[in-house]
Amino acid sequence: MDNLIEVKNVTYEYTDEETVHTAVKNLSLNIKKGSFTVILGHNGSGKSTLAKMLNGLNKPTLGDILVDGINTKDEANELEVRRKVGMVFQNPDNQLVASIVEEDVAFGPENLGLEPSVIRQRVDEALKAVDMYEFRKSTPHRLSGGQKQRIAIAGIIAMQPLCLVLDEPTAMLDPKGRAEIVSTLIKLNHEKGITVILITHYMEEAEKADRVVVMNDGEIISDGAPSEIFKNVEQLKAVGLDVPQTTELLYNLQKNGFSVSTNVISIKEAACEIASALHSEEK
Amino acid sequence: MLKDITFGQYFESNSLIHRTDPRVKIVLMIALIVFIFVSGNMFSLLLSAAFVLLVLIVSRVPFKMYLKNMKAILPVLIFTAIINLFYGEGGTVLLSFWKLTVTTGGIYRSFFMALRIALLIFVSSALTYTTTPNDLTDAIEKLLTPLKFIGLKSAVHTLAMMMTIALRFIPTLIEEAEKIMNAQKARGADLESGGLVQRVKALIPILIPLLISSVRRASDLAEAMECRCYNGGEGKTRMKQMHTSLTDIWVTVACVLYGSFVVLLNILL
Amino acid sequence: MSVLEVKNLTHTYSGNTPFVNDAVSNVSFTVEKGEILGIIGHTGSGKSTLVQHLNGLLKPTDGQVLFSGEDIWENPKEIRKIRSKVGLVFQYPEYQLFEETVYADIAFGPKNMGLDGDELDSRIKEICRIVGVKPEYMEKSPFDLSGGEKRRVAIAGVMAMRPEVIVFDEPTAGLDPKGRENVIKIIKDYREATGATVIIISHSMEDMAVLADKLLVMNKGNLCMFDTVEKVFSRGNELRAIGLNVPIVTRVFAELKAMGIDVNENIFTVEAAVNELKRIRAGDGNA
Repeated sequence: MDNLIEVKNVTYEYTDEETVHTAVKNLSLNIKKGSFTVILGHNGSGKSTLAKMLNGLNKPTLGDILVDGINTKDEANELEVRRKVGMVFQNPDNQLVASIVEEDVAFGPENLGLEPSVIRQRVDEALKAVDMYEFRKSTPHRLSGGQKQRIAIAGIIAMQPLCLVLDEPTAMLDPKGRAEIVSTLIKLNHEKGITVILITHYMEEAEKADRVVVMNDGEIISDGAPSEIFKNVEQLKAVGLDVPQTTELLYNLQKNGFSVSTNVISIKEAACEIASALHSEEK
Repeated sequence: MLKDITFGQYFESNSLIHRTDPRVKIVLMIALIVFIFVSGNMFSLLLSAAFVLLVLIVSRVPFKMYLKNMKAILPVLIFTAIINLFYGEGGTVLLSFWKLTVTTGGIYRSFFMALRIALLIFVSSALTYTTTPNDLTDAIEKLLTPLKFIGLKSAVHTLAMMMTIALRFIPTLIEEAEKIMNAQKARGADLESGGLVQRVKALIPILIPLLISSVRRASDLAEAMECRCYNGGEGKTRMKQMHTSLTDIWVTVACVLYGSFVVLLNILL
Repeated sequence: MSVLEVKNLTHTYSGNTPFVNDAVSNVSFTVEKGEILGIIGHTGSGKSTLVQHLNGLLKPTDGQVLFSGEDIWENPKEIRKIRSKVGLVFQYPEYQLFEETVYADIAFGPKNMGLDGDELDSRIKEICRIVGVKPEYMEKSPFDLSGGEKRRVAIAGVMAMRPEVIVFDEPTAGLDPKGRENVIKIIKDYREATGATVIIISHSMEDMAVLADKLLVMNKGNLCMFDTVEKVFSRGNELRAIGLNVPIVTRVFAELKAMGIDVNENIFTVEAAVNELKRIRAGDGNA
């Protein structure tokens, strides 16, 4: 598989009241086409800064970011990069421009200067892809947080990006809304082949990803398949992250001398792990 | 109380009025307002009232919704009626006290003015209930197109964008204001009693958080719009194209007919 | 002794405003002094409407709210007094900060109660000690703090009124794990220091299992369960039917039971789970 995004030795600095802060430190990361990556990290770990660099909203202080071969630093490519890498933010209320759902979704394609009939088609498709087609005539402020966030996703999808970057899209949602967003993203990834980069601090959401990248202090501290990452409960806790309760349970059992491994997340797997540990004790 | 503001609240239906091209609707609404003002005697005004009533019925928006808008403006209506009660001249004197007299002419005038204002409110509510805020904004932008040729292109677009965003965020900000008000009340803030100065002072704990949150929302929105390739409207197309149709012609014909009758009644009587 | 008593509370929103409102119908329950009551339910189940009655922000359409045995609406003019006795911390309370300094913001509530001078000062310092607002923050602008610290200050602002009952509407919403942990600690510390009664609305069954003594379950404006944590979580099927669930460990134990392992199903916390499994291991070892 090809790399869609290449982050090469990127450092990001910003000045606040004359002190220079480094939000991202000499970071390198490749994102493969069609992959589903979760970036975990506590607030201030640099994950949002990184996200905003992926579509050129922030430009690296040092190093380069290539999106589909295009350097984000080049002003001339600005619109091209934004179209290829769509961004969804935390607060769904603050991303919606129009007071009718379908007109909001049309905003991106309209900015791209597409033909009205093409826009119509893309808007309908995008709304169907996030299961919000029946709400196309509604007004956003009467929808739930999860629904609003799905509209925001549709607004990006309608621009037909190659990659979707979501900066804590579930932080302000209730469990139902969170589940809606995660399943929408999985669907878009599987069915439309859109590359997804999901930034979150909810571990449960990392479970379904191909790859989990953990950030701390502007650096990547671990990178691998979810089960690999979850094994290191102590490391995750040390950087202010939580683990799913199943992992927490298995970790505590391990500390109490049970021979269980902590690299499973689902309830069923956890139960099997515990059952086999109990059986082996019997023998 | 704040939640009763339904300005910019579209009422979904598929009536004749809903289907009329928003540009045509705006122009006709302005014409209607002019005719209501032109209606110089009771006959032409009653004809206007009948026509406005027809519009309201055809719009298929529940009458309750119209009355709700009327309720908000009721104080103004009553005030106008009372002032005019004493202003009217002629007719028999019904009541006289202090320096004020009420004559039959006064009652006539008071009714006339109140009806006129009520009709204006009904007409503008009919427009906002049957047209989505976005259609309204688009129509205004289109109607202002001539300005683009005298070098105001970006100004027209900016104005339209501002209106769209304002309409989108009014309900959000009302909700937010209510939340902040409740939060400060929960901290013992007294918003209901005291003199004017005290009441204005009591608003500070509400206005400052509201301002801060609006600034935050604005900067979030700007970022989100940038991510959606917004470029100041350069090269922007629209999904919804406005087409004038047969409906528009019929509606226009109806308005022209009504208008000529108003003028006729004015001249004849 | 009961501190709050809600009797047949009904609230319907007047008019057919286009905004979505969650009504409450015929809800009754009693909160005992010093306990922690958890309220769970979907968004729109009426939880937020319900708690806004406890400090008189909303007036019941029907029914009563009694504080220490007295109807809080007995004298409507005095309703503001109840707000210092029943504190309410809204969702995202940091959005209510407005003063120039942290100190002044925390002082807003107690000042509204009529405190001033040394009394006010010592009250603020005391609450800051309890909830861990650092002394060096006092003269800072609250807007310069990090998200988690802003919330700490906002919560301190309500606690500074020294309410006997304090209600939190999703106090950890939007925070990262560290922030969530801090808020839970603040709540526990306040309770320990003052013996206050605590009511928490939360979506996290796991947090509820650790924190609450009792749970109140709301669904579509009705109270559908009100019992000890143990009893409520033992009704997993009913909870699932209304779109809620039991804590993850409880689900793991249900799974174990289904596999034919003889475990106690009433396990709601990781700690209890580890102990139960140790017990089983020991039992097997002896057999």
